[in-house]
Amino acid sequence: MPFFGELFVSEILKKPVLDPKGEELGRVKDLLVVRGEALPKISSLIVEKKRKLFSLPWADLNIFNKRIISANIYSESLKSYEMSEEDLLLVRDIFDKQIVDANGAKVVRVNDVKLEGFNTEAVLIAADVGMRGIMRRLGVERGGEDLMRVLRGNLPYNLISWDYIQPLEPKLTAISLTIPRQMMSELHPADLAAIISQVSHKEGATFIKDLDVETAAEMLSELEPDTQAAIITGMDTEKAADIIEEMPPDEAADVLSDIPAEKAHEILGNLEKEDAEDIQELLGHEEDTAGGIMTNEYIAYSPEMTVKEASDRFKVNARDVETVYYIYVLDKDEKLIGITSLRELLLAEPDCLIADIMETNFKTVSPGEDEMVAAGIISKYNLLALPVVDENGYMHGIVTVDDIIDILLPPSAKRKRRKV
Amino acid sequence: MNLYRKIALFLAVMGPGIITANIDNDASGITTYSVAGARFGYGLLWTLVPTTIALVVIQEMIARMGVITGKGLSDLIRENYGIKAAFFMMLGLLIANFGNTVANLAGWAASMEILGLSKYIMIPVGAISIWMLVTKGSYRFVEKILLFACLLYFGYVISGLMAKPEWGPVLKSTFVPQLRWDSEYVMLSIAIIGTTITPWMQFYLQSSIAEKGITKEQYKASRLDVIIGCSITDIISFFIIVTCGTLLFPHGIRINEASEAALALKPLAGDYAYLIFSLCLANASLLGAIIVPLATAYYICEAMGWEAGVNKTFKDAPQFMWIYTLTIALASIVVMIPGAPLVFLMVLSAVINGLLLPFVLVYALLLVNNKKLMGEYTNPKSYNYISWSTIVVIICLTVFFVVTIIMPEGGKI
Repeated sequence: MPFFGELFVSEILKKPVLDPKGEELGRVKDLLVVRGEALPKISSLIVEKKRKLFSLPWADLNIFNKRIISANIYSESLKSYEMSEEDLLLVRDIFDKQIVDANGAKVVRVNDVKLEGFNTEAVLIAADVGMRGIMRRLGVERGGEDLMRVLRGNLPYNLISWDYIQPLEPKLTAISLTIPRQMMSELHPADLAAIISQVSHKEGATFIKDLDVETAAEMLSELEPDTQAAIITGMDTEKAADIIEEMPPDEAADVLSDIPAEKAHEILGNLEKEDAEDIQELLGHEEDTAGGIMTNEYIAYSPEMTVKEASDRFKVNARDVETVYYIYVLDKDEKLIGITSLRELLLAEPDCLIADIMETNFKTVSPGEDEMVAAGIISKYNLLALPVVDENGYMHGIVTVDDIIDILLPPSAKRKRRKV
Repeated sequence: MNLYRKIALFLAVMGPGIITANIDNDASGITTYSVAGARFGYGLLWTLVPTTIALVVIQEMIARMGVITGKGLSDLIRENYGIKAAFFMMLGLLIANFGNTVANLAGWAASMEILGLSKYIMIPVGAISIWMLVTKGSYRFVEKILLFACLLYFGYVISGLMAKPEWGPVLKSTFVPQLRWDSEYVMLSIAIIGTTITPWMQFYLQSSIAEKGITKEQYKASRLDVIIGCSITDIISFFIIVTCGTLLFPHGIRINEASEAALALKPLAGDYAYLIFSLCLANASLLGAIIVPLATAYYICEAMGWEAGVNKTFKDAPQFMWIYTLTIALASIVVMIPGAPLVFLMVLSAVINGLLLPFVLVYALLLVNNKKLMGEYTNPKSYNYISWSTIVVIICLTVFFVVTIIMPEGGKI
């Protein structure tokens, strides 16, 4: 039961471990980490002697600090150890790997790990992601301090408390805490997308698994098409279908059109029939046309409805629809005959008919028209959405202003990080 | 619009291999090929064939690693071989690539001078526009410029055709190796390999493939991309050698720099060849000067875990922005200072490149054979024989190259 204050793991690596008589048992090679009560803890030391590995349980240690490490037992009672993929080894699996700092919402690399004595255990308290950690690993921390003193600065510690670490490796995820996961879900989807675009797709998939479906869907919408496709392709069909279902149909269609046809088919098969039909309809349009960027989720009522009926219906329908500011008025044949706005609906007398408050002089775009034409109309008439109507007057969907902005000015996560 | 888009989509799939390979023909590459052509005529053409094969073998492995792991080479080295390996590799890369940037800016300066523009104006103009383009320009705009710049390399093909070489001897020299025990000949043939297979392009290729998110399913297309890219590089090299070998070699004109080749071509082949050579050199130099500092900043920050990105500020990504900015700024200053040790810097960069290459290649081969990372995509056994022997040969040649640079007297055979 060794007591100690705190230390960095790199300070004890390759240090000798002594038995009660002062003979060397071996040198510290790695540390076995297991799930602890609050934080992950060290369960044994892996020591190396003459190229053989032994495990030394934490309970058998006597002194543990950065100067001396000694055990209660002799070399005869050491158990030999074989590297196993199942175990979580601190140096092998945590050092040098990328993690997400949930507090700062960014991807960082672990340079070193800080241990702290807690009751009788050694727990992982923080990850060092700063310059100091790099210098300590290179064995020049002192030199760095001196240099900074000459330059009249100081070398800051850059530690991330283990509470805020969201690992990217499946093995590490098992021992991580729930706090970072909750924090992740509270981040803005655009920030999450920025994190995802910085890690490999495999790690991205692990990361997404931890998010709830709704957050995952919102985040996926923020990514660039290549990354979206790679992530969805790498996921199992069911989870992918759950996420696709949460996305607005136009974005879902964009994603599905970028992934291998077979996978897309499987996913479509797993969706609810109505959603699948919506998406399939959108998949039929050319990518850079109004039809290709439109969504077929919008609010449409009949002209004979009263304002009161419409408002009641609106409260139900608006939950699932992204763009609710315009209410489209369709006749019995599903032809678009007028548009009214949410403002009109709220201001009108409850017993008015929709037909009385609708505007019949409106702009439309045909499904085959170039997306830039749709953008031009939206910009010229200051619209939030533009209905897509074919030559026979049937309404197919709406092009929304946020899709237009994405075309003109892609959000940063959609831009590539690096020059090709 | 539609046709343009289809072409753009095609280029999106076929990107990394072709662009990496094109940028590989930067100022120092072009210099080497021009010098080789002027000094030995078609005599060194055959070296392009084994060089292309070696390049394809290596780039294919790197590309495969990028596709399967989704990570860059610097990430993989850091994660699998620890911080020391990564740190010293990155330090070497920083110095070597600083030298590369100096060479490229010097190439830009030289090509501007022979066009009658003072380097004291054109270097700051070039450096500032590169910096502005990358940090302030939109991604799409930069990409368009890069793709257009890659097209300009075909100027060398035109000049080669305009030189009207006799194709019989050209083809014979390409496919029938000639060995000569002449120290200059040996040095130049090694230099051709050295400027073609560089450490930084391995990092660059793997990262851009990982970045593109190319999946296992698309890997075949990616391999084709690499093979086409490597072939294009060496076709460009081929035409540079052919041009200089046809026009300069018979007249006994010896040159030491790519810009001299352009000047020497003027009286012999007229204004077109002169213009093509100087403009292509300017283009290649500037392209190299855009990519090399940017790539360096990216790999270093990735390996060290620092924030990186061109649209970040000095406050958000200080290491990244400073590495990128200082590389360009210092390299420009070095090129402009009269009497600065330009040659020394370029030789230093060649030596460090030569020293880094064995490590990069050995790490790459170990990583590509790591089952934990690559699963079923490790090298097949037979492929391992080919790649190990390729790498051993390259390592021997580069070691020899480095030794002869450091001790020119001892290098005489």
